Amino acid sequence: MNAFLAQAAATLRLYGRSRMALIYSYLFPVLFLVAFWVLYRYDRVPLLRHMGELLTVSVLGGTCFGLPTSLVAERERGIWRRYRLAPVGAARLVGGTLAARYVIALSAGLLQLGLAMAIGMTAPEHPLDLFVAYTAVTFAFLGLGLVIAAMADTVPAVQALGQCLFLPMLIIGGVAVPLVSLPDWAQHLSAFFPGRYAVEALQEAVNGGGLVESQFSLMALLIIGLSALVAGAALFRWDAQQKFALRSGKSWIAVALAGWVVVGVLAEWSDRIFVPAEAAEPAAVESLAVATPPPPTSPVMAVAGSTEPAVVPSLNPTPGLEPDPVPATTALPGTWQALTLAQIEEEIYFTNLPPDEGVVAPISPPDETPPPDVQPWLTEIERRLPDWEPAQESDRVQRLRNILYVAAVPDSLQIAPLENYIPRVVFSYIETLAPRDELIRMLAWIALNPGDGDLVAVSTLGEVVGFPVNDPDPDGVRERTALYAVKLLGRLMGRIPE
Amino acid sequence: MPPKVIVRDLRKRYGGVEAARGVSFEIQAGEIFGLLGANGAGKTTTLECMLGLREPDSGTIEVCGFDARKDPREVKQRVGAALQSTALQDKLTPREALALFGTLYRQSVPPQELITRFGLQEKADAPFEGLSGGQRQRLALALAFVNRPELVFLDEPTTGLDPQSRRELHAEILRMKAEGHTVLLTTHYLEEAELLCDRIAIIHQGRVVATGTPRELIGQSSALQTVTLTTTSAIDAAALAGLTGVQDLACEGPVVRFRVRDAGRVLQEIGALLESSRAELVELKVRKATLEDVFIALTGRPPENPEQAAAS
Repeated sequence: MNAFLAQAAATLRLYGRSRMALIYSYLFPVLFLVAFWVLYRYDRVPLLRHMGELLTVSVLGGTCFGLPTSLVAERERGIWRRYRLAPVGAARLVGGTLAARYVIALSAGLLQLGLAMAIGMTAPEHPLDLFVAYTAVTFAFLGLGLVIAAMADTVPAVQALGQCLFLPMLIIGGVAVPLVSLPDWAQHLSAFFPGRYAVEALQEAVNGGGLVESQFSLMALLIIGLSALVAGAALFRWDAQQKFALRSGKSWIAVALAGWVVVGVLAEWSDRIFVPAEAAEPAAVESLAVATPPPPTSPVMAVAGSTEPAVVPSLNPTPGLEPDPVPATTALPGTWQALTLAQIEEEIYFTNLPPDEGVVAPISPPDETPPPDVQPWLTEIERRLPDWEPAQESDRVQRLRNILYVAAVPDSLQIAPLENYIPRVVFSYIETLAPRDELIRMLAWIALNPGDGDLVAVSTLGEVVGFPVNDPDPDGVRERTALYAVKLLGRLMGRIPE
Repeated sequence: MPPKVIVRDLRKRYGGVEAARGVSFEIQAGEIFGLLGANGAGKTTTLECMLGLREPDSGTIEVCGFDARKDPREVKQRVGAALQSTALQDKLTPREALALFGTLYRQSVPPQELITRFGLQEKADAPFEGLSGGQRQRLALALAFVNRPELVFLDEPTTGLDPQSRRELHAEILRMKAEGHTVLLTTHYLEEAELLCDRIAIIHQGRVVATGTPRELIGQSSALQTVTLTTTSAIDAAALAGLTGVQDLACEGPVVRFRVRDAGRVLQEIGALLESSRAELVELKVRKATLEDVFIALTGRPPENPEQAAAS
């Protein structure tokens, strides 16, 4: 047996004998799993939508704490000094240690996956991709663990440095707190952290499009892992007497950090980092309110820029109206019935919509069961909606708009968690109202003319939703109505996958 | 036969401190060579440079015919070393450790052979954390022999051991020599060096200040001999002080103790003095200089006992 395999085998054997190591590697991941299960207990398929986060947290624990703790403890005791007397380079011995760590991480991941499936999670859609993604994630984080081991002189220093990576990654790196809940600066910052790419790559393999959809994340993980590995190898210390502070070549740390920076810059440059607050909310409110012509990058901007000035007058012809200074980008017909699919495709962008799990125009995932205290409300709304007077409005477009208000108003008032679930009820109801073809045209019309129609129905909305509706911001309601119209439109047209 | 080790003008500086300031010595094949020195004298630095644990600033180190600075791995293939304290993973057993380290060399001794040789049978499958100090030291020696070394480096091997373990280790080191191994031993215990070493180099302030067999070193030394004289009645102290070359004179009634360079000449003078003082000789002892006296004469202080140093 060669040195690499012997070291890997010895590491694994010793691991099996250490109770603390077993607790860290296997008990903690199980506890994380239980915590996630409790936290997301209303998901229809348990844990399916959170496996990326769950697996990432566990890999982080094993690699950013487990690996450097044992490496530094062994170095402090003089074990690596003893290894150094042998005619073998660090690469084979450290490589053997890393290989063993990978096996441990893999077994912990399989344990989590197995337990998740035992409590009802469906099998990952792309198991092979999941294996590849998990390997890439472990590779990236093992590299970081090696850098921590090189920088830390003592085990307490490992804990401190590990926390410096672990906590930011958990909180603002998209690992434990969903990115959409974060302020925009944190979202941009997270682009420089490997955590979000780990979650993305794993989640795409579990219930998304697989590696095809996560090529950038995979590349990001490999860049970060490789740069960390190079730096970790260059900074490797055999002997505890070689203090980090007194060591030459500390600039190798810059190589490890360069990996993060390269990935972050690439992500920003390729416009991968979508920030709903920036892309939708302020722009939308502003454009709806003052009708400034924005560049056609976001759907709502397109809606506002192309319609309000140009189409509103044509819909409600008012003699003597001043010609609008902002020209329409396309000549749109005067009625919703005359809209063509081609026009809709051209005018409405389905990309860069605020995410369904965000705070603007949220929609609960299709597989999520509403919490028990929310379900009766939803049933009641479902029951009352057809009898609500504005839902019987003779103008079909206004009727549809009124019904969309049922989703848009609770959202603009931030009635959580009800605001997440009402859109599903509203969508189901709308789909029964007219043929798909007509709905598409009407919804597109509403989206393209967010300033149209009246908000009279809002005053009696309390009758449907069952709570008082006190003066919601009209611009906010119109904006969210348009967003929900686009989101439903995208689903009806097959442009937004569920 | 060419020397097993040639060290020439080895220099190593740490910041402002020059730990080795031109260390030179040779070790012949088949001998036990002792490197003696106080803490900080430069022996660990010298040893670490020879083992490839540190890169010297200048100088040549040739071990088993290989340049240790250019081919450290070839040197490591041929050298076995037991460092001052050998620590292993708590849960690793001696058998596993010997097997693991065996894979790191081109040739290796089967673990069982080493377990038997170094008396580790009882603890062969016990975790390292359960081994006593003596057992750990035996395991360290076994690890040093895992690659059938031509040359064995033992750095303070008996420090911290009880007298019984120390005697066993002395026997083991003599056995290494009998088997034809060349041994480099560093120690604080001068009696140990005197007992075990064929040749010794005393290292002081980064330089080798003396090299030779223990007998040669004592013989060549300017260290003084100690004379203890007991008589029936006290002799006049002034007369004693007048003897040729007497130093450190101490009189306690009829017992007189002093140190002198040439004991032979003083003995003649003592005969005359006894006669004139009408005192009779009860006892006369002349003790030759020990290695410790030589060490003190060369370095100006006794070697620290590492255990006492640690305790203080």
